[in-house]
Amino acid sequence: MRVLKSEWLKLVSVRTTWYLIGAMVLLEGLTAGLTTGLGDVDDLRKGNVSTFVIGTHLATVFMFTLGALLSTNEYRHGTANSTFVVTPKRERVILAKLVVGLAIGIAGALLYIAVHAGLGLSILASRGVDVDSDLVVNGYVGVGVGLVLGCLFGVALGALLRNQVLTIIVGLVLFLLAGTVALFIGNDVGQYFPGEALLALQNDPRVDLLSQTYGGLVLAGYCVALGIAGAVLTREREIA
Amino acid sequence: MADITVERLTKRYGETLAVDDLSFTVDAGRVTGFLGPNGAGKSTTLRALLGLVRPTHGRALVMGKPFHELKDPVRAVGAALDAHDVHPGRSGRGHLRTIAAAAGLPNSRVDEVLDMVELTPARDRRVKGYSMGMRQRLALAAALLGDPRILMLDEPANGLDPQGMRWLRDILVSLAGEGRAVLISSHVLSEVEQTVDSVVVIGAGRLVMQGMLGELVKGDRRPALVRSPRADDLRDLLEAAGASVARDGRADSMHVHNASLEEIGTLAAEHGIPIFELTHEVTTLEDRFLELTGEGGNVR
Ligand SMILES: Nc1ncnc2c1ncn2[C@@H]1O[C@H](COP(=O)(O)OP(=O)(O)OP(=O)(O)O)[C@@H](O)[C@H]1O
Ligand SMILES: [Mg+2]
Repeated sequence: MRVLKSEWLKLVSVRTTWYLIGAMVLLEGLTAGLTTGLGDVDDLRKGNVSTFVIGTHLATVFMFTLGALLSTNEYRHGTANSTFVVTPKRERVILAKLVVGLAIGIAGALLYIAVHAGLGLSILASRGVDVDSDLVVNGYVGVGVGLVLGCLFGVALGALLRNQVLTIIVGLVLFLLAGTVALFIGNDVGQYFPGEALLALQNDPRVDLLSQTYGGLVLAGYCVALGIAGAVLTREREIA
Repeated sequence: MADITVERLTKRYGETLAVDDLSFTVDAGRVTGFLGPNGAGKSTTLRALLGLVRPTHGRALVMGKPFHELKDPVRAVGAALDAHDVHPGRSGRGHLRTIAAAAGLPNSRVDEVLDMVELTPARDRRVKGYSMGMRQRLALAAALLGDPRILMLDEPANGLDPQGMRWLRDILVSLAGEGRAVLISSHVLSEVEQTVDSVVVIGAGRLVMQGMLGELVKGDRRPALVRSPRADDLRDLLEAAGASVARDGRADSMHVHNASLEEIGTLAAEHGIPIFELTHEVTTLEDRFLELTGEGGNVR
């Protein structure tokens, strides 16, 4: 419990946290407003609602970055020293970071959905576009879970790699570029890439991938595997 | 049982032998200086004691145990390794609160230690804007949080101005006076000379000497500085009496080994030679330190 409180304080006591969440919400709110406000009414009617729900991948990248900072700031700013002197059972620290990442991930996802859906759906309604509510709910659940998992992915990968810049670059490649790479390799393998699993989870109608549930499980699997590896390595490695 | 026991500690980083078969102990109730030139292995030894790095051979024990076996590490040991180890975007108070939370200490304790290190007026400012001296104070505050029995401070005087040094000296001496073991490292002896009671001197990862500060300079080894308008005459007399004399560039001064101040003064008086100054060399301790640890580059 002590470690949890400490990790939570670390998260909320730096402005970057709020800047990242604020930027994400602003960006996605804007995107939602523009696509629904300026999009062709016929196109919107044709049922592109789920692509609108997904918004941009940047939201996930923002949450990923937030998680990555939670882990890598310790090494970047040298606080790993005092952290692991006060809590010599280092795996507890990583576990606490994952729990805190889960909490802020859920908060970020709820905020995203509130702003995005609030703005987007009300604009659609005012323009007389009916939406399939099942599709919308499905989409938002997928996007929300994706944001939470993205944040956890960042915490876990950061614990593993330690280096801040490296972690963020690897994350960007995995989430934004891996799709293209996956297509090169062939869909059979490619669909298990984190970026593709994320698309599947978000129920993106533009691509033919794993089912939504399966995509979520694959992404969650990455988080669990990386989290365990990060915790074990943090325990075994030297803090030097 | 000594509060800190380093037993044949060896730490190797690839090709570099950072600590080499080092043994020493630190007792409670006094300030111990952990001295050695840059790269001697001081920080590595402290990191081994704190369980941050694993010894290649040997043991580094705190109250007889490896660090990770301590029941309540925060109350046993307070450590400050590097004054830069703070997230610059956090306030000093915010930084300490993260540590206090992990240690299960109340926020009121944070304000107490901030007061002890006289950082209260700046506590809500972001550390980004702190001076080096303020960061050192913050690091010390963090070490004091758990009211620990042992303090380990790596170069705590680094970046402090003379007032800061005096303040640090007073606080460390009083903490040791309360029965704590205080271990402070430095690569300059003069920085801690007036603070420490005993010293552990290392060079190139090996123990050079451990003892009380006074033992670092044996009485007969302390050269005298003598100023006299008849320096040449006095030199001849002293050399005839068996002392060794070295002249520096100045016409009226010299450095005398193997003669006490009393002997020099008496000899001068017997021959009617005026003396302007007769004193022990102030730099001796530093010289002795350099002598022990070697003057050459220690970068390995
Ligand atoms: N993590 C590391 N990896 C590789 N080499 C290291 C590491 N840490 C220290 N060393 C090496 O070990 C030796 C001892 O370093 P250490 O930092 O312990 O010295 P120090 O006495 O604290 O010096 P200073 O007065 O400069 O702080 C140096 O040669 C250093 O290069
Ligand atoms: Mg050092």
